[in-house]
Amino acid sequence: MNLEKVIFGFFVLLAATLNFGFFYGDLGDPELHNVYELFAAVVVNLIATVLKFGDRTQLGAVHLATSLVASLQLMAAAGVWAYATSVATDDLSREMTASVVSLSGGALFANIVSVVLLVVETVSFQRR
Amino acid sequence: MANPLLDLVYRLFGDSERGRNDTKKSVATDAVPDAAGTLGSGGVFLVLRRMRIPLIVLIVIFAVSVLGLTLIPGEDAQGQPTRLSIFEAFYFMSYTASTIGFGELPYPFTPAQRMWVTFTIFLSVIGWAYAVGSVLALMHDQAFRRELARRHFARKVAKLAEPFLLLVGYGDAAKRLARSLDEMGRRFVLLDREETRVVSIELDSYRADTPALLAEARDTANLALAGLGHPNCEGVVALAGDDDVNLDVAMTSALLRPDLRVIARTHSQEIAKQMQAFGEPEIINPLDRFGNHLRILIRSPAAYQLMMWLTSTPGASLPPRRDPLPRGRWVVCGYGRFGRELTADLRAEEIEVTVVEGSNPLDESCGQIHPEAVTEALLGAADLEHAAAVVAATESDTTNLWLLQVARCANPDAYRVALQNRAGNASLFREVGVDFGMVPAEVIEHEVLARLANPMLMRFLPLVPHQSDEWAAHVVERLVRRCGACTPTLGRLRLSDDEAPALTDWLAEGEVRLGDLLRNPKGRERSLDLVTLAVLRDDDVVLTPDDDYLLHADDDLLLAGGYEARQALDSTLVDLPTAAYVIGDRFVASSAVWRRLAGHSTGPSPRGDTVR
Repeated sequence: MNLEKVIFGFFVLLAATLNFGFFYGDLGDPELHNVYELFAAVVVNLIATVLKFGDRTQLGAVHLATSLVASLQLMAAAGVWAYATSVATDDLSREMTASVVSLSGGALFANIVSVVLLVVETVSFQRR
Repeated sequence: MANPLLDLVYRLFGDSERGRNDTKKSVATDAVPDAAGTLGSGGVFLVLRRMRIPLIVLIVIFAVSVLGLTLIPGEDAQGQPTRLSIFEAFYFMSYTASTIGFGELPYPFTPAQRMWVTFTIFLSVIGWAYAVGSVLALMHDQAFRRELARRHFARKVAKLAEPFLLLVGYGDAAKRLARSLDEMGRRFVLLDREETRVVSIELDSYRADTPALLAEARDTANLALAGLGHPNCEGVVALAGDDDVNLDVAMTSALLRPDLRVIARTHSQEIAKQMQAFGEPEIINPLDRFGNHLRILIRSPAAYQLMMWLTSTPGASLPPRRDPLPRGRWVVCGYGRFGRELTADLRAEEIEVTVVEGSNPLDESCGQIHPEAVTEALLGAADLEHAAAVVAATESDTTNLWLLQVARCANPDAYRVALQNRAGNASLFREVGVDFGMVPAEVIEHEVLARLANPMLMRFLPLVPHQSDEWAAHVVERLVRRCGACTPTLGRLRLSDDEAPALTDWLAEGEVRLGDLLRNPKGRERSLDLVTLAVLRDDDVVLTPDDDYLLHADDDLLLAGGYEARQALDSTLVDLPTAAYVIGDRFVASSAVWRRLAGHSTGPSPRGDTVR
């Protein structure tokens, strides 16, 4: 067992699960989407991205690309949320909640690709 | 290739380059491994890899701080309980962690919040210090810096747009050579495996930007990086101190780029034979050359002076002419093959030679000498007291110095010749008193320059020792009179349609006299300050032809002279009216229409019909 692989797999998977947890539920209902879950998803995604730095393989490059996409989408979602709560006049409206959640939905897709890559990597490693 | 992005970049921009190479040179450079491929992108990945932990630490510290701030209850201006939103907490942490510190926003903090903030300030300072420290440590990392240097070097080499030479090894000889090449305006790339030498290249401050790489030249990838596959590479000069390295470089170049010139230095004939197995490298053996130099000097001091002068750094002054060497009995102290060859060289000049060598005084197997035995041999069998000259030619300077000292005590009148292996020992040799000292580094410099300076020069130089001393003295005198006491600039001129289009008709008629060609376009009574050292016609070399020598088309001329004179000559070669005036003392109109109207032929005409 390789500790580095454990940590890597843990963060990649945690990024996807947190993202899913935030995304799941009625798109426009602010009560179903906890902002702390979004916060955790952003942090874990950033960590997962940094963990993927410096891998020279082809698979590593795609890994990094998916994580970058997810992080950017989540940060965009956080930005929209900050705008909705602090700048806009009506607190967290349905439209704003919907755009935050749909942005995180895009990140979720990238995170799923990341998990698929992780699985593919693991499977192909065992076959060799 | 490891990185798909880089691969794409190379595919996009590499192809156009490759296409150009093919049209430029017919010889494929495909055999040389791709320099970019051997480079990889290690540096960037190394940075990213090393930055992983510091970045994660920073992210975690930020996350914990922000989360804590949002959870701890605070009070607004009215004393109502409130909490910081994640956005406000992030904003606060951003300016606090980066030590900007705008204060407690949006409301003054409660004691509980202040306790947490105190904690996070220390945490974030540690995080930043760690991250910045890691980056700085990476900047000082040897491997990283070397990687950066390699990339920088590869970029510089790839961008070289002029023809350049690939110099392997940067010792005494290479340093002198590099200095001379730089003076001549030639470009070169340096490769050495010793750090101190590569560092010294920066201090030597050449006029042209000189890429230098600290790397093992035996590695083909490094040679490729240094431009072995570059279309502008015009030759490889291997002057490393290690014969095996030179052999490797000569072999690699011959196999991968058979079209390149290879000049390699070696001390051993076995290595030279191995080198010759691959292509036709030009091999320089400084120890072999020692005997040749002595022979030339014995035959003609003026010829030696001329040869040394023509092959020295541009701008060097005329070396003093040496006195003729004594032709009496010579005593040679040198062991092994080298001593034998030197003896053979001297005997070929009909000089009586006594050799002090062999197993008894100088132990060939380990090169050790037995002082007692040698002294005995020198004074006894060799009869040093009555010798005309003594040669100390071992490969150890200490031994040579000692031999000279013994010789001086025994026979102060003898002519003392020494092989000075290390240039740094010059002052010691001067102190001991040496009449003719030969420094291998100097010899190598002269030999390589002779080969690189001008393709015609190597046709000229070998013929010089076969001429009389008076001839050589006369050439030196003419060169000094015409071109000054600095090393003359040598130029090659081919009387072809390309280089001398204005002369085509005259050359076809065979009416161009060398003296007429070299007249001054500003006034043909005077002649240009140029000296024709040799004319090459169909592989026959005519040395220093006189003014009445009739030139033919496609003759090659080796000219010595300054820049201005050469420019004036170029105008004669290219401009028809100038050529008509200089050669035939006639006036020819500049425009073709006027020429036709005036009825002048462009070609030669009887001497009488001058229009001016």
